[in-house]
Amino acid sequence: MDLFVVGGGPAGLSAAGEAARHGLRVVLVDERVTLGGQIYRQPGPGFVVRDARRVGRDYQRGVALVDAALRAGAELRCRTSVLSLRGTTAACLTEGRGHVTLIRARRVLVAPGASDRPVPFPGWTLPGVVTAGGAQALVKASRVAPGSRLVFAGSGPLALAFPAQLRHLGVHVVLALEAGPMPRVRHLARILAAGWGNAALLRDALSYRAQLVEARVPLRYARAVVRAEGEDRVEAVVHAAVDADWRVIPGTEERLDADTLCVGYGFVPSTELLRLAGCRFTYDEDLGGLVVEVDAWQRTSAEGVSAAGDGTGVRGAPAALGQGRLAALGAAADLGAITQARADELARPVRRRLAAKERFRRALLPLYAVGAGIYELASPETVVCRCEEVTLARLEEVMEATLDVDAVKSYTRAGMGLCQGRNCQRQVSALLTRRRGPSTYAAPSLSVTAGSAVALSEEQLATLAGTTPRPPVRPAPIGVLADDSVPDQGLFVGG
Amino acid sequence: MLLPRRQDLAGDVPTDSDVVIVGGGLAGCALAYFLAVAGVEVVLLERAELNREASGTNAGSFHFQIAIHQLTGAGWDADRARLLDDVRFLSRAASMWMDLERELRADLGVHVTGGLMVAETPEQLDILVQKQRVEREGGLETEVLTGAGLRTFAPYLAEDLVGATYCPSEGYANPLVTAPAFAARAIEAGAAVRTHVPVWEVERLEDHSGGSRFVVRHARGALRARRVVNAAGAWAPDLARANGLKLPLHAEGLHVNVTEPRARLLHPVVQHIGRRLTLKQSANGTFIIGGGWPARAEPWPARYSIRWTSMTGNAAVARRVVPALADVRVIHTWAGVWAGSEDLLPVVGESARLPGYFTFVVPTGFTLGPLMASLLAEQMTLSATTRVPLEYSPDRAPVFAGGARRAVPG
Repeated sequence: MDLFVVGGGPAGLSAAGEAARHGLRVVLVDERVTLGGQIYRQPGPGFVVRDARRVGRDYQRGVALVDAALRAGAELRCRTSVLSLRGTTAACLTEGRGHVTLIRARRVLVAPGASDRPVPFPGWTLPGVVTAGGAQALVKASRVAPGSRLVFAGSGPLALAFPAQLRHLGVHVVLALEAGPMPRVRHLARILAAGWGNAALLRDALSYRAQLVEARVPLRYARAVVRAEGEDRVEAVVHAAVDADWRVIPGTEERLDADTLCVGYGFVPSTELLRLAGCRFTYDEDLGGLVVEVDAWQRTSAEGVSAAGDGTGVRGAPAALGQGRLAALGAAADLGAITQARADELARPVRRRLAAKERFRRALLPLYAVGAGIYELASPETVVCRCEEVTLARLEEVMEATLDVDAVKSYTRAGMGLCQGRNCQRQVSALLTRRRGPSTYAAPSLSVTAGSAVALSEEQLATLAGTTPRPPVRPAPIGVLADDSVPDQGLFVGG
Repeated sequence: MLLPRRQDLAGDVPTDSDVVIVGGGLAGCALAYFLAVAGVEVVLLERAELNREASGTNAGSFHFQIAIHQLTGAGWDADRARLLDDVRFLSRAASMWMDLERELRADLGVHVTGGLMVAETPEQLDILVQKQRVEREGGLETEVLTGAGLRTFAPYLAEDLVGATYCPSEGYANPLVTAPAFAARAIEAGAAVRTHVPVWEVERLEDHSGGSRFVVRHARGALRARRVVNAAGAWAPDLARANGLKLPLHAEGLHVNVTEPRARLLHPVVQHIGRRLTLKQSANGTFIIGGGWPARAEPWPARYSIRWTSMTGNAAVARRVVPALADVRVIHTWAGVWAGSEDLLPVVGESARLPGYFTFVVPTGFTLGPLMASLLAEQMTLSATTRVPLEYSPDRAPVFAGGARRAVPG
């Protein structure tokens, strides 16, 4: 096989289609039941789409991408997760199959997407608190609306889009909170200046805003959720005004009855596979934190491994589509399927569009740059690591003994559970960074200058990522992993 | 949880001490504790964090049954006297573990669950039967289980396993907190424990001025010492080499599989007499599966990386022994370094060629570390009732792979 694509979202699908069109033999896998990734997620099994328009534009875009990839000859496999990647050989597990399959390819494209930025605050573990991504998945795959009196709290373009989408499903959105500042004339001027070539994005934003106004959903700027309250589930949401760093301004708290709190502070790239492959990373909180380094053709520092989409820094679906195509063109040229000149020529319009998107993203940064305050909301009794039930107090106690990320993990077990630190590691590293101070072996603080990437040392990478990357990167049953043909030399060694 | 405080670990490094211990693993921390409690002036220097290598990355089981590596292959009669010594020693290690939480006034996660050692073949069962006789004679309580007795006692084992021995004093503790607890109590008793202080070399002084025989040169200066203990685990040979000592030790990487938590299935820890398997279900329900599968060595400070075949081979043996594990998901693997001696015996004692220079490395260190530390401390304070066995001497000749003490199981 020529190209093995991990991830069936916009980046992976567009890459698979593009590469197959140039004659590469392509296999794409995705761990979910349906393709489309999070954004173009297709309805789950058992759903029949009678009117595509009513399901939404994202659905239709997904269908088109899947069709294009299939028509070009790419093989697409769902329910298949990648457990390990070494060089350009991947160990894959297809649901329902009793064994691991090894896939060897000349090139690998990792397009793993992103997951919700976890933000611990008092009450974040209460039933009724959902993440924006989780709620979207629920809506898109199962057509289920979360809750009936919903507060949305978060930041970024999604803070506009999501409440508008939910309203369509009949959810009563009682309040939308945006942690970033109210747009001023100077912001809007910058955005409009960058808007050239981004008309669709601007139009979307305006239409979402208009829908909120029409539905009389109050949208309040520079406010963030402080805690969720309730006995067995969310009964009320407390929110407060925040400063430029999203730090709570005392005395501005307000309480509002609600049964659902949807939290959307943006997304963080899924980095497990890319870290396992040994890729180099930089750091940019506004792109989601750890960002894999790629060249102009989306090639990482690991031989034969490329990366595209939100997994390489969260920029959204339009950018992911372009990056996927660039990665495919790069691979096609590298493997001799097309000439370098042809690749350059085909890439030119893609690069132009990507540059326009990037201008737009940067123009929005003054409004949406992530503030350090969201990592300072937890109270001593807040459970930071949900898998191992580790509270903030426990973490702070152990940080009296050590500021080493591995040691903190071993003393508290934070990050050792089922999610392997995906939910708690950012908070743990923020706590460590604050205690280490700026001078010593500090991890980068939240980017002060919006949009600037920071090169990472090994130790900083370890502090931010927490776990050492090791297979399997997805849970895998012992019976599936078990290989009786591995020779056992029979020497017992015990503790 | 009992942990040493950061400001204590970051304090000034003394310039003079009776004993300097190099290495903050279980061996070094436990020895610092026993020496400090006995009133000995002691400084422990650790290059990084406490307990980060073998002491904190082993699976935390303590095994007291005679293991296959203790048999020389020369026959039971030939081995009997030495095995009896081993058993008595291991029984003492068992008593030590039973008492350790009280001794340290700390929760070390000690669970005395009992332990099974299983056999797949009649030949292996024969070894179990023979070894159990020696264990009984040496005072370690064990019993042989076969047939319906085994099924009733351990219904989760594969039905075609021919037998097992059960030792009620086996179990596990939390390897992540044991050495730090020793360090915290050592500091309380007056020891100076310092982290992030790499030792560059141990220089021998010829004139013994002021009673010091060594100068320990480290990242933050120099430290004069009457006695030095090399407790640097897998890196002990590197440190000793500069002093002309060739320790019979080498570094290996060991693999461990960790699963998602499940409802209680196993109570005892399980090992295999003839294959690489140690298995337990920890207090929080996860299964910890290891047993000596190799990992890829990486230069320090990089962590050892995983061999795919160790994960899958280890999984196969685990499923063979406990078939119900087939649908339990592995969520994580880890690899730790292991300081191995070819004969798997501890490397403990003073070097005749370099008086005052002690080595303290224990390949089965979680089981034996605390006991060995107390014995070595007694020896160093001349209050010993039992000496550290001479066969543990760091001066002994290395035994090479395939050497006399390794038996091939049936």
